[in-house]
Amino acid sequence: MKRTKSLAVVAGFAMVTLAACGGDGGGGNAGGNSPSEFINPESDFGKVADAEGPAPEVEGATTGGTITVAIPGDPGPEDLDPANGWSVLGNSIQQALTHRSLVQFRRDQETGAMELVPDLATDLGRPNEDFTEWTFTIKDVNWENGNPITAEEVKYGVERTFDSETFTSGPGQVYSVSNFDCGEGYTGPQDGDCPGITVDGQDITFAMQGPFPDMDFWSTFMAIGPIPLENSEFPAYGRMPLSSGPYKIKEFRVNESLTLEKNPEWDAASDPARHQYADEWVFKFDQDQEKTDQLLLSDSADAQTTVSNGLGATNVAALRDALGDNFIQQTGQCVSYRTPDYTKIDDINIRKAIAWAYDFENITLAGGNIPGVTRIPASTIMPPGMSGRKEYFPDTEQFVYDPEKSKALLAEAGAEGYKLTFVYDDSDAEAKAAAEQEKKGYENAGFTVEMIPYQEDAYALWDDAESPINAKLNLRSVNWCSDWPSASTMIPPLVESGQPYNTSYFSETEVDDRIKEIATLPLEDQAAAWGDLDELIGTKYFPMIPTAYRNDLFGAGSKIGGFTGDAAMSAIYYKDLFVIQ
Amino acid sequence: MFAYIIKRLISGVIVVILVSMAVFALFWFGPEDPARPICNQQTGNRCTPDRLENFEEQMGYNNGFVSEYAAYAKGIFAGRQMEIGSTQIDCDAPCLGYSHRTFNLVWEELIDRVPATISVAAGGAVLYLLLGVPIGVAAARRRGTLGDKLLVSSFLVISSVPYYLFALLAWLYFTLIWQVPILGDSGYTPLTDNPAKWFGGLLLPWLCLGIFGCTQYTRYTRGAMVETLSEDYIRTAKAKGLKPSTVVYRHGLRSALVPVVTVFGIDLGVLLAGTIFTERIFEIQGIGRWGLQAVQSFDLPVVSATALFGAIIIVISNLIVDVIYSVLDPRVRLS
Amino acid sequence: MSGKSPLAIAAGRLRRDKVAMVCLSIVIIFALIAIFASQIASLFNVTTQPGNPSQQLDFINDGMPLKGPPRNGFDPEHPFGIAPKTAKDNLASWLYGARTSMLIATSATVVASLVGIVLGLVSGFVGGAVDKVISFVIDLFLTLPFLLMALVIAPILNERFALTPDRYQTMQVVSLIGILAAFGWMGVARLVRGEVLSLREREFILSARVIGMPTTRIMVKELLPNLVAPIVVAISLMLPAFIAAEAGLAFLGVGITQGESWGQTILLASAYFELYPLYLWEPLLGIVVLVLALNLLGDAIRDAVDPKTRR
Repeated sequence: MKRTKSLAVVAGFAMVTLAACGGDGGGGNAGGNSPSEFINPESDFGKVADAEGPAPEVEGATTGGTITVAIPGDPGPEDLDPANGWSVLGNSIQQALTHRSLVQFRRDQETGAMELVPDLATDLGRPNEDFTEWTFTIKDVNWENGNPITAEEVKYGVERTFDSETFTSGPGQVYSVSNFDCGEGYTGPQDGDCPGITVDGQDITFAMQGPFPDMDFWSTFMAIGPIPLENSEFPAYGRMPLSSGPYKIKEFRVNESLTLEKNPEWDAASDPARHQYADEWVFKFDQDQEKTDQLLLSDSADAQTTVSNGLGATNVAALRDALGDNFIQQTGQCVSYRTPDYTKIDDINIRKAIAWAYDFENITLAGGNIPGVTRIPASTIMPPGMSGRKEYFPDTEQFVYDPEKSKALLAEAGAEGYKLTFVYDDSDAEAKAAAEQEKKGYENAGFTVEMIPYQEDAYALWDDAESPINAKLNLRSVNWCSDWPSASTMIPPLVESGQPYNTSYFSETEVDDRIKEIATLPLEDQAAAWGDLDELIGTKYFPMIPTAYRNDLFGAGSKIGGFTGDAAMSAIYYKDLFVIQ
Repeated sequence: MFAYIIKRLISGVIVVILVSMAVFALFWFGPEDPARPICNQQTGNRCTPDRLENFEEQMGYNNGFVSEYAAYAKGIFAGRQMEIGSTQIDCDAPCLGYSHRTFNLVWEELIDRVPATISVAAGGAVLYLLLGVPIGVAAARRRGTLGDKLLVSSFLVISSVPYYLFALLAWLYFTLIWQVPILGDSGYTPLTDNPAKWFGGLLLPWLCLGIFGCTQYTRYTRGAMVETLSEDYIRTAKAKGLKPSTVVYRHGLRSALVPVVTVFGIDLGVLLAGTIFTERIFEIQGIGRWGLQAVQSFDLPVVSATALFGAIIIVISNLIVDVIYSVLDPRVRLS
Repeated sequence: MSGKSPLAIAAGRLRRDKVAMVCLSIVIIFALIAIFASQIASLFNVTTQPGNPSQQLDFINDGMPLKGPPRNGFDPEHPFGIAPKTAKDNLASWLYGARTSMLIATSATVVASLVGIVLGLVSGFVGGAVDKVISFVIDLFLTLPFLLMALVIAPILNERFALTPDRYQTMQVVSLIGILAAFGWMGVARLVRGEVLSLREREFILSARVIGMPTTRIMVKELLPNLVAPIVVAISLMLPAFIAAEAGLAFLGVGITQGESWGQTILLASAYFELYPLYLWEPLLGIVVLVLALNLLGDAIRDAVDPKTRR
């Protein structure tokens, strides 16, 4: 999933990553005083196929009031079209409050673990034996305008995501296109019907191109949800999409604000996870970090009902004391990597030397993050909590900044003074400071460094084979979150040959073949197989240096109740929030 | 007089056209691929050469500068048909195109935002005068004394601080740290929705603008008053035994106001063209903030619209200033 | 003309004005700091190199420096303290920031006044069509949205010069000077034009014309000396305005990203207004004192050259 500029501080690149991830045993809410202790998720998501509405009441919940959500430094989604929804922020809001899909996540109030429960569908989907066909039954519920939601509309919504020109950056372009059997070159409803999606009354059946056991996870996305057959052209529909959840859109101002009000057509009895406690929601995008932090610290009347989607490093200590239980350290399934160009830096010792020369603490601090709190030293490609993850170290032990070791490795490779070239965003002061620290670290470890100031989106640069700047680089980076708790949404996009986010340009047939093979293994063996592959890649090839597991800090005022984190989305869990009256 | 106004209007129209052309040209010839930022953004960085070309076509960047500018100009007067992806939209005159970022019609967004900017600018400008002129007069009457120096330099100190910092700290202290009622609740509510809220929400932005911007009015007024108060006719008036305050305000101020009005007219125009800093800090959805967002995402139609709007306002306000100037000061004849 | 020239009289008045003299010395001190920034920095043994935040900052708690302000006393190694997050030395940033601010403001002032004086002189003295054209250009420039254009230019510069970092840095400075000068020259031009219009009909100019002096010579030899006073005043007020403007532009992301500047430091430090006020006050006081001194000096010069205000 996408994360926008200022949230992605490792080297300051716009972060295009995918969220939704591993089950988090503790919900990431480590409470007050121990910033470096995170409860690591241990288990997979539970699946509760028979969960029914209404959702269990949150303890002490009261109705009424307006919840204001301040979103510092993130301009928010450009449109609200479900087919385009692939950002952590946009999806966490829309899926929780306005847009229902077939399946959804629910946070278990006892354990804090996330679990899959039905949403628009009556269950979590009924696969056939080899997962090549999935059938869902749509409940009898209504749109905000009172019209019934039909299976036909779900089919249309899914078909719409195939349109690669309109929804180029939508998640459907990856998961729908590669899984649903709509025929070669199908690009959406303008090409006619998708033969692989059949509707019978309120039943909808998806035929797959191959086994797709993760269909239930994929069905949590808005892209697998209904779209009205009429008046749903992009871009107009993206400004004011019809709501099916407990809230409907009152006003949407791009990059500024989103105001939601109660949707009277929403039926609590049909929804096992959502609530309708507050009267209104106001999301304020692109807020000033300092202003937001100070607002929460002030505990003014406005601040008491305000939620912050990100706390600044400057004031973390004060905020932790001031907010108490409403200060959340949320573990996510997000990892930052440095990716040496595999085609240029072909000696594994040089790549290891870079890892030992990466001055984690200084870079993290200069970049406005806190080592051990918002950035945890990393070792494996898969983040903690992902099922099948194997704890291992690519080079005997955890990487720490060790210039001597780096020099020795360089000497072994016969590459003293090896030149590293990377880009940094000089218009972002923190990114620039972090890059300067990184340069200093490499230079002290025997490298020479060239830094190129680059203010546009770096992922676009790395994807551009023609660019003379890209041709000069031999060190790139990537930030990635899984889409759901399977390494199949983590490892292939990062290491498979030719994948757009494989920014090291790594390509080994052994790894490519194994990725294909794992998909054919029995379901219960797949997780462990991914863990083994992770270790194989890390120890034998070491194409990418995992630099940090990423965590977020959320905060809320004293009159906000039910404030928890959503480990599935690495976001705030909006479904339980209420204003204490 | 009438002929003069017509002449000025014609030259004003040429100025406006040149300004909008300049902004267009900057987008056209500045970056290597002007469509790339939008393409990257809309495709989630999957901006292949094919798609880039698509976007260039859609946004008109492949048409050549002259023909696209002509189409744009024609749209303003006659409206035009536009394509967004596969949808056709009618863009009625005055058509300023559609935003490449939000896909809304620029004219609608503009109309939506004008009231906020006018509210901020008008209030700020009124405070320029309400604060600047009396303080200037007060300083002039005490000229050379400690009071004069203190008044003048304390406002100078304030205006030496970067404005954004001044406004940011004002917001932080009034809203959060002291939590002053009324002042602490800044933001824009349309006047027609709730006049009291409109006034309360804008009070702090107005005060920030006013206190920060009145310095030069203080100086102008002071300078002009000092000069006027030493003129012979003032001395005559004093000698006649008129009350000092009558002399100062009735006789002195009137002629001192002439230069102040000139500056005021220009300032009001500049304020209306976009109070970027104020709108950004107090989160007011006006023209300035809109332009800022558009520039950051290289949204040409919106940037053009803000430039056009600003240019028209400035040209008109300059014209009005000249007319008022001739009324206030009969020595100036418009030619 | 008899006795002392008007300028000499004004200079004499200025010399007796205590406030003006104090301000003048402040300005000179700042100018010296800007010129000798690197020497002063090496004297104190500080550099603008990034520090070692993990060792120098208390990042487990509030991220403040372990030595020196704001939690502890004076740290002789870093007389102005170190910056949070980066642990960069504040004194070095301040010194080089002073250099950048002064360089940009002075250059912009020189460019703006030169353009303004030349165009104003020509416009006022030659008159006719030339005057109309120049007046039109002045109107045009007063209407151009420089702030928006500056915002558009910043990323374009980056795109064009990313691969040549040295030229990139120079181009940032040059374009900032250009933008500020483009903001400022119209005022000077209008002022000079107005003065020239009133001088043009005076006897000494008319007589110079009668004896057949070439136009350029009249402008340079006869008109210019009489314009020195208003020009000096205009310049002395433009300089502080530009210093303040550089800081304001930094907030919008226009300006110097390569190297140090006061505007950038204030922007970073504004988040620490409570936690680490000294960090904010250092560059802020630099700007306020310098701008104030320049403004007061400008006022004093105006008073000195215009005897009427002294009566």
